[in-house]
Amino acid sequence: MKKSITIIALLLISFSRIQAQTAIEILQELELRMQGKSSYVEMSIIVERPKWRKEMALKSWSMGDKLGVSVITSPAKEKGTVFLIRDKEVWNFLPSIDRKIKMPPSMMMQSWMGTDLTNDDLVKQSSMIEDYAQKIIGEEVKEGLNCWKLELVPFEDAPVVWGKIVIWIDQEHYMQLRVEFFDEDNYLVNTMIASDIRKFGDKTLPSTITVIPEDEDGNKTIISYDVWEFDIAIDEQMFTTNYMKRIK
Amino acid sequence: MKTLIKLAWRNIWRNKRRTFITMASIFFAVILSTLIVSVKDGVQSNMIKNSVGDFLGYIQIQQTDYKEDMTVDNSLLLSDSLRSILTNNSNIVTYLPRIESFALAAADENTKGTMVVGADVSKENQFNNLAERIIDGEYLNNDDKAVLVGSGLAKYLNLSVGDTIVLMGKGYHSATAAGKYQVKGILKFGSPELSNRLVFLPIKEAQWLFDLESRYTSLNLQLKDVTLYNQTTTELNQVLNTDYTAYSWEALLPQLKNIIETDKKEGYMFMFILYMVVSFGIFGTTLMMLAERRHEFGVLISIGMKKMKLAVSVWIEIISLTFLGALFGMLAAFPICLYFNINPIPLGESLRKLTEEYGIEAVLQFSIRPGIFTTQAVVVFVLASVISVYSFIKLLRYNPIKEMKS
Repeated sequence: MKKSITIIALLLISFSRIQAQTAIEILQELELRMQGKSSYVEMSIIVERPKWRKEMALKSWSMGDKLGVSVITSPAKEKGTVFLIRDKEVWNFLPSIDRKIKMPPSMMMQSWMGTDLTNDDLVKQSSMIEDYAQKIIGEEVKEGLNCWKLELVPFEDAPVVWGKIVIWIDQEHYMQLRVEFFDEDNYLVNTMIASDIRKFGDKTLPSTITVIPEDEDGNKTIISYDVWEFDIAIDEQMFTTNYMKRIK
Repeated sequence: MKTLIKLAWRNIWRNKRRTFITMASIFFAVILSTLIVSVKDGVQSNMIKNSVGDFLGYIQIQQTDYKEDMTVDNSLLLSDSLRSILTNNSNIVTYLPRIESFALAAADENTKGTMVVGADVSKENQFNNLAERIIDGEYLNNDDKAVLVGSGLAKYLNLSVGDTIVLMGKGYHSATAAGKYQVKGILKFGSPELSNRLVFLPIKEAQWLFDLESRYTSLNLQLKDVTLYNQTTTELNQVLNTDYTAYSWEALLPQLKNIIETDKKEGYMFMFILYMVVSFGIFGTTLMMLAERRHEFGVLISIGMKKMKLAVSVWIEIISLTFLGALFGMLAAFPICLYFNINPIPLGESLRKLTEEYGIEAVLQFSIRPGIFTTQAVVVFVLASVISVYSFIKLLRYNPIKEMKS
């Protein structure tokens, strides 16, 4: 009797390990495809509020999964504002005060440029693999594509704010088609929906991402990618604080 | 009747010492209550003046949503109809456009949350004498790209005139509001709260900083008669459309109103106790007088004096005494109040910290509002008149034989 329980337990453990590995593999594959060695993006961001909307445009470069830099190109008031991401740090350069600021931890959860994204969202991507236990919980069709449905639950000591993340990833191109963020009480906080799938070079990617916060009616942020190039030649010095002033 | 008055008048001066004691008890009662009311009233109006008159304004017009959500997103555009409403109200002299928003201020090492106020600096000076509050440096011009900072804030950030301050906040529709400015002057306000938090800059610069184009967050109304602020607020709200709302300072600063209400109630309690003490003092002297003159009254009634006439004559005596005492008390209290009105008493070090935490200037200011003096004199006079009814009744029921024997 005792023996059979042990065997069942062992079986269960090994079974879940196989599943976990596939889930982690999916995420690793996704990250590899999304980022490549380096990338260049031109995008526009529309912030929608019940009473007004605002459009911004920005250019962004990235290298590996730790380095990224973005510069706002419009509106005129904010033109030249630079965000530099180095690992888990976010630096901000504001031309109007000619100063570089490192975002303190207390500001990481604040809205980024008035959008529905937080400063923390800029750096969190890689932590999906490091800070969460992943598990495939089903398969569904989204945007007409077969998707894995993954559930990510953070490790107890992980420095993250979400209680749970559910992601739908398409089985052919490894695109995140829908992400739902839950808080510690398992309430839905944010939903990210990808759409308008098109080819950027040889990669197939969603060109529009819509972020909808659950608790604020009528709020929405729409990010559209106009240009997305991969594996371009970038000098690593572009991702240093000293270079921030020169990015245009 | 004429005889009775003459009789009473002679009686008053017959025993000068007794008269003096009675008058003194009323005299000091009036002085004491006047001083207390004067200081209460003075401190309260100083509080209102410091935070309302000097800066907030007795009435502000805001976009209706601004009060709930005080961000520049809820700023207002000065439309022609709004302008004509303001010029048509007879109690409004002019309006001072303002932009108020929160921003982080940073100097070399320190950062502090501040209230950034953009204002038409020349108009502001004309009505609020802002330039007189400069303790270092110079006042602003409307075209300057510079700021004035409160003295407490300057101290905290270690700023002096000519240094640079960086302001960061959120602008209209989530634009980034960031700017660096030279400190042109340092302001000191009566209210420490304002001195610790204020950064002042020309309105055009504030409109640029918060990306507001030609919007304002509020219009600060200057009134001909500030005591009519409630009436004017109501009048304005009747004609303003729902986009705008006029608020009196009581609605804008409910905490100040609460402090004043509490202070007033405390004052009433204290005055009640004081009046009780005063009443018993006057009652005591009346009883003393009746006891001293027991024999006199007995003889008078025995030889045929009408009880009614005697009672009236004594009543006139007491009333005249009280009237004189109250009058002298009033006259004597005035110079004391006037002196402390001009030279307010500064509070000690430990008390000062406490009051400044509440945003109150640490001085005991006396008020010289005429109402205070007359009210106190009238109250004490009424008290004395009521008490004199006792002697009146007592004399009507006088039993001369029993009184003289005892």
